[in-house]
Amino acid sequence: MPPEIQRTPPTGVGSHALRSAELSLPPVTLRPTWRVDALPRPRVLRLPLAGSTPAVTSISLLEAMPKVSSYRFPRAVAAPVALAAPPRPATAQPPASAEPAVRRPDRPARTRIAPPGDVVRMEERLWFLLQPDLETLLRSCHLDFPRRPFPFQLEGMAFLMPRHAAVLADEMGLGKSMQAISSIRLLIHAGEARRVLVVCPKGLVSNWVREFGDWAPEIPVAVIEGDPQRRRWQWALSDVAVKVANYESVVRDRELIAELKASFDLVVLDEAQRIKNSASQTSHAIRALSRRRSWALTGTPVENSADDIVGLFEFVAPGHLDERMSPRALGAAAADHVLRRTKDKVLKDLPPRLNRDERIELTPEQRETYRQAEEDGVLRLADMGRSATIRHVFELVLRLKQVCNFDTHSGESAKLECLKADLEEVQASGRKALVFSQWVETLGKLEKELTPFGALQYHGGMSTAARDEAIRRFKADRRHSVLLLSYGAGAVGLNLQFSQYVFLFDRWWNPAVEDQAVNRAHRIGAAGAVTVTRYLAADTIEERIDEVLRKKRDLSELILSQSEPSEAGSTGLTVDELFALFKLPSPSRTAAAA
Amino acid sequence: MDTNDATLTFGFLTTVDSPTHGVFGGYLVVDSTGRPLEFHCTTPVKVSRAQQILYGATLPGHLHGRQIGANLLAEATSHPLAVLIDAETLLHVRPHTALPVGLVLRSDPAVSAPRDDDALLRFGTTTISLPADRHAAVIEGLTALAGAVDLCEPFERIRAAIDEAQRH
Repeated sequence: MPPEIQRTPPTGVGSHALRSAELSLPPVTLRPTWRVDALPRPRVLRLPLAGSTPAVTSISLLEAMPKVSSYRFPRAVAAPVALAAPPRPATAQPPASAEPAVRRPDRPARTRIAPPGDVVRMEERLWFLLQPDLETLLRSCHLDFPRRPFPFQLEGMAFLMPRHAAVLADEMGLGKSMQAISSIRLLIHAGEARRVLVVCPKGLVSNWVREFGDWAPEIPVAVIEGDPQRRRWQWALSDVAVKVANYESVVRDRELIAELKASFDLVVLDEAQRIKNSASQTSHAIRALSRRRSWALTGTPVENSADDIVGLFEFVAPGHLDERMSPRALGAAAADHVLRRTKDKVLKDLPPRLNRDERIELTPEQRETYRQAEEDGVLRLADMGRSATIRHVFELVLRLKQVCNFDTHSGESAKLECLKADLEEVQASGRKALVFSQWVETLGKLEKELTPFGALQYHGGMSTAARDEAIRRFKADRRHSVLLLSYGAGAVGLNLQFSQYVFLFDRWWNPAVEDQAVNRAHRIGAAGAVTVTRYLAADTIEERIDEVLRKKRDLSELILSQSEPSEAGSTGLTVDELFALFKLPSPSRTAAAA
Repeated sequence: MDTNDATLTFGFLTTVDSPTHGVFGGYLVVDSTGRPLEFHCTTPVKVSRAQQILYGATLPGHLHGRQIGANLLAEATSHPLAVLIDAETLLHVRPHTALPVGLVLRSDPAVSAPRDDDALLRFGTTTISLPADRHAAVIEGLTALAGAVDLCEPFERIRAAIDEAQRH
């Protein structure tokens, strides 16, 4: 008989916990011989079947598409103006084959056109960023240059092109006009400009026309000149891409320009320091020109005071700068609009400029004339007391400086003797020299005395044609070793880099103008070192002025580097400083004391 | 075909991997002189570690091919002659477009092996892996474009533009 095993039925549905008593087993009798009272008690396990639902972690899939922002740009249009010559043909296309042999230009560097700071719309900023580099743009327009531009010049173009308000303030001799012309050229080819006006000093008009011929030969250029009827016709011309006018023409034709409703896509000012005084007629006339873009070219954005750059900006970006701003604030506000490079930074290979300060002892007769003139002059000023004005001081300074050049009685000149000796060396070595003076009269005397050196004159009293002819002869004819220039006419815009010597026969009031004069020779293309000799008559007003000029020399850099001036009063020849030249009390101080 | 045809356009597609934001996509369409006509960019796609595991080997195809590549190409209104890419992962866009997609090889072409069904073509010093059945017009067009533009250069523009878009 099988053993009977009694099991206790489950205590109920849903009860998952088994009690130990329910698992106690009854005695089991095993026939025939064994009896077991009980089996060992089993271990009891609790199974946690009644817990909470297990946590589920979902991993999202990459289903949702990322959002796409789209920008569309207009196609570049062909130049809308008639060009004088067709662009150069494209380079030959390589044959299509499995191994096309495309000529790849040797172009390791890429010059990018960055969006200006005042462009804030994303679409416009991207438009600039997505343009090809400048080298590609030039190649795709098939635009060649007579000389390969320096990298910093390409950067200058990349700076100018996208800007509506720009000041290119490179040091003299770095090719500001070339950079402007090439940028104008690109804008015209891209269809972004069709009416451009270049305004420059009268003496530089022919220079600009010549430079356009070199750097943008296919761009038609017209010069605004001649009688009123002719000028009216020229201002009204619509099929000429570039017009060149001098500042005086713009002032004179101000009403005519308004009457004709002449407007320009771009107005470029050369030697833009001409409009630094915003109250001047010139500044008013220039600022009245209707234009979309305003570019100013100047090597001296700050000549005398911080107000100079404020005056410039009244044309470039009216209201952007304020005369009450500190130099640091001016620099910061102007930073995105101003590009300034110096030769020592960008032209490591430019030949050195060697400065010689020649301290010259006046001849005894000259010294006596000078002493007499100064004593008389100072006495006169002292007698005038508070009625002495700055004009009186200027007159005395000029009189004394003239004596330092030539004795007004005997005609003797210690400087001239020194200059002759120097020029003999220049001539013997087959070199050329530039001699600068403040006075045309001095240039006339020098020309007579320097006949053996084939001296030629270049100054504002000569016609444009006569000046151009002087430059041509000086360049081409070996017999002409010396060119005599006035600071006013010869300090700007001329390319005379074949001259290795510059003599400053007398000193100008402003070091920036002297630098401009020196940079006629010390510029790109200079074949060798340029020696600059500055004559200073010992123990005279010239030495005292030199002291003041030395203090002025750093002002421009102070503002352009956004630094505070290191010392108050270093902003130029003030009235106080002029009176101090003769140890006279300044009228302003006298008034303050009173 | 006139390879100087001003209506010819070319696409440049790339991605930018930002450690903080994820993967951005950028697509630039240029004319035959390299000037921009269209630009499209995506918001960044951040892929988690778990997603990487789940998608496994299919992730590049999904992310670069579908989510970024195909998405960007679909937004363009121009119909370029070819689309150039500068990363192998973007080859996954090929199944999503009828346009010929060429891979610009940055490494030494001498050591680059062509992919299946691709041929390596040299355009100047730039080597492009193109589908072997590419149309002759594509080669002609790219040859002309390479005469005007360094074919690696537009990718730099896209990266600069994405960087600008990120900062604004």
